[in-house]
Amino acid sequence: MNPARRRWLARLAGLAAGGSSCGARAAELPAPAPGGPDGPVRRGRALQFPRDHGAHPASRIEWWYATGWVVAVPVEQASAGATDGWPVTAPEDARLIGFQVTFFRIRTGLGDGLAGRFVPRQLLFAHAAISEIGAGRHRHAERLARWSGADDTHLRARALRADADIAVGGWSLRRDEAADASHGPRVAWHTAIDGGDFGFDLALRRTQPVLLQGDAGFSRKGPQEAQASHYLSEPHLRVQGRLRLEAAAGLYPTPAGQPKAVPSGHAVRGRAWLDQEWSDELLHPDAVGWDWIGINLFDGGALTAFQLRRADGSALWVGGSFRPGLAPQPPSAPGAAARQAGAADASPRAFGPDEVRFIPGRRWRSPASDAGYPVEWEIHTPAGRFSVQALLDAQEIGGRTATGTIYWEGLSALVDARGHRVGLGYLEMTGYAGRLRLPG
Amino acid sequence: MPGGRLGRRRAPGGLEAPTWVRLWPLLTAEWRHHPWRHAAAVLAVALGVALAWSVHLINGSALSEFSAAVRSAQGEPDAVVRVAAGDFDDGWLDRLAVVPGVRQASPVVSFETYALPGASGQAPAAPLSKPQDGQRAAIADPDTRALGRVAVRVVAMDALAAAAIAPGALPQPSPAVRARQPLALLDPNLVFLNPAARDRLGLADGQTLALQAGPHWRHFEVGGSVAAAGPPLVVLDIAAAQAGFGLEGRLSRIDLRLAPGVAAADLAGALPPGLVLVPADEAAQRVSNLSRAYRVNLTVLALVALFVGAFLVYSVVALSVAQRAPSFALLGVLGLTAGERRALVLAECALLGLAGSAAGLALGAGLALAALRGLAGDLGGGYFPGIAPALRWDGLGLVVFGALGVASALVGGWVPARRAQSLQPAQALKGLGGGAATVPPTRAALALLALGAGLALLPPVAGLPLAAYASVAALLVGGVALVPGAVQVLLALPRPEGSVLALLAWQRARHQRHTATAAVAGVVASLALSVALTVMVTSFRQGVTDWLDRVLPADLYARTASSAGASAQAWLPQDVLARVQALPGVRRVEASRLRSVALTPGRPPVTLVARDLADPAAALPLVQAPSVPGGLAGSLRGADGPAGAVEPDDGHADLPEAWVSEAMVTLYGAAPGTVLRLPLDEGVLRLRVRGVWRDYARQFGAVAVDRGVYRRLTGDDRVNDLALWLAPAASMDSVQAALRAVAPEPGMLEFAATQDLRRLSLAIFDRSFAVTYYLQAVAIGIGLVGVAASLSAQVLARRKEFGLLSHLGLTRGQVVGVVAGETLAWLAAGALVGLGLGLAISVVLVHVVNPQSFHWTMELVLPWARLAALCAAVLLAGTATAAFSARRAASRAAVLSVKEDW
Repeated sequence: MNPARRRWLARLAGLAAGGSSCGARAAELPAPAPGGPDGPVRRGRALQFPRDHGAHPASRIEWWYATGWVVAVPVEQASAGATDGWPVTAPEDARLIGFQVTFFRIRTGLGDGLAGRFVPRQLLFAHAAISEIGAGRHRHAERLARWSGADDTHLRARALRADADIAVGGWSLRRDEAADASHGPRVAWHTAIDGGDFGFDLALRRTQPVLLQGDAGFSRKGPQEAQASHYLSEPHLRVQGRLRLEAAAGLYPTPAGQPKAVPSGHAVRGRAWLDQEWSDELLHPDAVGWDWIGINLFDGGALTAFQLRRADGSALWVGGSFRPGLAPQPPSAPGAAARQAGAADASPRAFGPDEVRFIPGRRWRSPASDAGYPVEWEIHTPAGRFSVQALLDAQEIGGRTATGTIYWEGLSALVDARGHRVGLGYLEMTGYAGRLRLPG
Repeated sequence: MPGGRLGRRRAPGGLEAPTWVRLWPLLTAEWRHHPWRHAAAVLAVALGVALAWSVHLINGSALSEFSAAVRSAQGEPDAVVRVAAGDFDDGWLDRLAVVPGVRQASPVVSFETYALPGASGQAPAAPLSKPQDGQRAAIADPDTRALGRVAVRVVAMDALAAAAIAPGALPQPSPAVRARQPLALLDPNLVFLNPAARDRLGLADGQTLALQAGPHWRHFEVGGSVAAAGPPLVVLDIAAAQAGFGLEGRLSRIDLRLAPGVAAADLAGALPPGLVLVPADEAAQRVSNLSRAYRVNLTVLALVALFVGAFLVYSVVALSVAQRAPSFALLGVLGLTAGERRALVLAECALLGLAGSAAGLALGAGLALAALRGLAGDLGGGYFPGIAPALRWDGLGLVVFGALGVASALVGGWVPARRAQSLQPAQALKGLGGGAATVPPTRAALALLALGAGLALLPPVAGLPLAAYASVAALLVGGVALVPGAVQVLLALPRPEGSVLALLAWQRARHQRHTATAAVAGVVASLALSVALTVMVTSFRQGVTDWLDRVLPADLYARTASSAGASAQAWLPQDVLARVQALPGVRRVEASRLRSVALTPGRPPVTLVARDLADPAAALPLVQAPSVPGGLAGSLRGADGPAGAVEPDDGHADLPEAWVSEAMVTLYGAAPGTVLRLPLDEGVLRLRVRGVWRDYARQFGAVAVDRGVYRRLTGDDRVNDLALWLAPAASMDSVQAALRAVAPEPGMLEFAATQDLRRLSLAIFDRSFAVTYYLQAVAIGIGLVGVAASLSAQVLARRKEFGLLSHLGLTRGQVVGVVAGETLAWLAAGALVGLGLGLAISVVLVHVVNPQSFHWTMELVLPWARLAALCAAVLLAGTATAAFSARRAASRAAVLSVKEDW
């Protein structure tokens, strides 16, 4: 990327996602209808779907965030039925390819009273990254555009309200439901991105009910009630689609006789996790960033944990949830203790503000940003004590991104107290290269 | 003379040094003896080279500066897309973005308008940083502010999309703004100024800037800078530009970044129908095309100066050869071959040319530097507004113009060199056989003149009157070659009764007419040029004067914008008209609306003028439709033809009528009997062309329609210009003051009294043509030097004749009188030829070169008094020169000459 462009975009990214200016902006909000999807973030609001999968332009910041892993599969398997050959437990690490794609929406507070498609009321941007564990290679790309807020499916940059349909710079994420006579409605998220030297077009099929984080989707993010978001997750999505990696020869095994690099991409399958979250005030003024994990457990369970960090590294706020696997589990499986502790059904067990501890382990220093990231953590939760281990150290995003937002986001393994790998998922660490800054 | 050749030196390796090197001492001796004569030749070459080189440099510099300004404002997209003409719906963006190969599409809105520092009618915003004193004063004084409306170009973009295409063209927010608003580049309330705009408006960051949008001022905060060079530029967010300036949903262009390996040309086929690909440097190309005819005209003038310089070289070298005939003969006897004699003379000429070229290149660079400082690259043509270019060197041009100077000197020396070659050493040693000049056959001269006449009828080549220039050259050469014939015809008249001396001069002039060419060729050429330029400039000036009378019938003019481009944003509502009409002192008022209409990409837009046209013949300076040569019209409708701008008149529909300027006919073929299609935002306006009028103001075409008809068709009742007739007793000043109060906001009207407009227009005209006066003076001076040089040569050659005359009892004065008389006879013939030739060339200039270059016609006006004065001055100066030269030559020669034979 051109340095000049980077410079100004880095400046553009100057406003922190929170703090006093954030409060001022919240005051600018037009008086919303309380309680509706366009209303403010508040406890007790019942989320309604599919409307609440769509955008909430009245809120200050919102994101849709899909992470997961895939492996290359032979072509004949790519179109096979739902479960045939579906890798539920991960294959060996060398074959794993982590992916993440995030669509952000930020209300700018600009352009009130103007009309036209270019009025910059909202900023949409997207990050996508690929982590080739075997090759030790990480790549990422981004898109950035303005959006007037108009609910128009023809716009190249949009975040529709009725259901998830977000697009920016040719990248897209949308959700649809297809009627299926035998299995009821089949829900899937579709994302397509072209990041230059990589690209993917994936369908993420729902296998479990939506997981409402916190208090029925109201998730506190700080010591004050204002610091909160509406937060929902979709764990254990089945991934199917195509992944294109330029100069990818040898990065993942290809059957003999087949061309090593496929221009339109290689058939892949895997497993993913999707988060959607919107907030008016995300960061407490004292918070510099957060650490977060979202792990698909091999037994079908889903573990979420996060902490909001002060500048000295201490936790300002913590949270998370555990939802046990829906399949019968052996008593020794992780979370067994939690289930016995009261969460006998499949509903999630939300963690209280004193129930989670993040203990940083080995650090990796980014040569690009000079930030030091703990790529191993010990995390204590009511669902157990785990170790989180990055499968690849160099999974930093930013430094070279247009938005100047620098963070670490990578495929990691969850290891239980006895040293067994029990799940795969994503670890996110923000605020290590200065206080987290988001555009707007 | 075997084995004894003069000066043969062999280098140790056996290589021979060139002739001129061996004879170097002889050359330097010649130059030492006649330094001024040779200096004059060098100077003549130098002047021609300097003129051509400076024109080239100035234009090159101005053009490259303009291109750089465009590039820095626009970045360097891989391709630029527009609709065929005008602005277009922003929905095209979605369709374009999905075209394969397009990586990024960046929408741009661009228009011209006016800017004012500070909030109109309010105190300026408190400056965040301390402005300079001068800026402060300009803002504080409301009167200065009202007058200080600055014409600006507004470029509005989506910074997020433009970042990928033109990162260097992105604005830089000021530190204060940056700290307060990280999204400054998207903030619709901020504007960013380039250095020229900042300088002209005197604004600091944080202060308020007003931009004119029709009858309103829109206010913005100065949020920082943009680096773009060139004329005043204001950058703001695209949403603000669309919403605030009546451009809702409109775009001016879309800049594209393409995927690697995709060429702009590959895209052309894939574009949605309606969109066209324009070259990324379209603006620079357009301004280059715009100024091209003017540039070529100046360059041709400079080449003519070089041509005249060649004549001077001819005169000087011919004289020098004549004087050195004895020494050449001696060298010949000593073994210098004829070919070597010729090579020697040509080497001399080459050295003269080299010296002249070197001096000319230096002088030209100096001239260009001075002109760029003083005239800002305009060359008086007004094609490069608002840029102050730095001198830009051009190595190829340096070589070409230097070579041209040397070539002109070699051409000038060709005939004398032949004479040196054909010298008979034995005869010349005795002082005989010096004057065997070859006379160009009259038939060849007439053939050249006929060729010139034929070339003048040809259509332009690539929009340039190249054939016409060739015609001028053929006429010039043919005319000069015709001089002996003309002398013969003239002197066949009955000889004058009178003194023996007059008879002597008369007969001598008749019999030695072949030498006349040498003597007066320079005069013929320079007089012809002077006459042609005088007639052309006089005709043009008279045309402009008459035209001004016709187009400025009112007493006072008020306008909202000084360019058609800015009139889209700077306008007043219709109700202003009634209020102006009601003002005391206003007898009558007429309004007009100006619109800039792009008909074809790559060509400057034409101007649509909607005004009262109840009686078109009275309101417009109508002309007979210019005759468009078939070839011209055909070529225009060819490759780059404006398809769709003009269609044949089917005669059925009841179409509104329009009158077009001459340029519309030559550029677009919109002659009477056709229907013109003007693409406006409101739809396509189809107009039946009823007549053609003369427009010296808009070189690229104008269309006049009746304002009532225009309002009915488009619903556009905006007003740009007001023409006011005042009551007899009304004071111009009080009416102006009242008018200012009528405008919705102060500072929106510019005034000009008719007299001022006329004076200003003619002053601009005279400045543009100043270079032609300079060229005339140079040409005449060179012609006279030529007369002096060739007469001196002849007087030398006729030493024996003079000696004989002395022996017969003629005084020196009488001998000089005979020479002057002969010369007068030749000069009279030469002046007649020159005058006739000049008139012929002026016809080509007025009726061919001007319409083909600038698309307007004019009547030929012959300023007889000036032409007679010009001829008389040449005759007088020539005769005096002849007498002076003869006196000098005769004084030394007469006594000795008769002894020489002995």
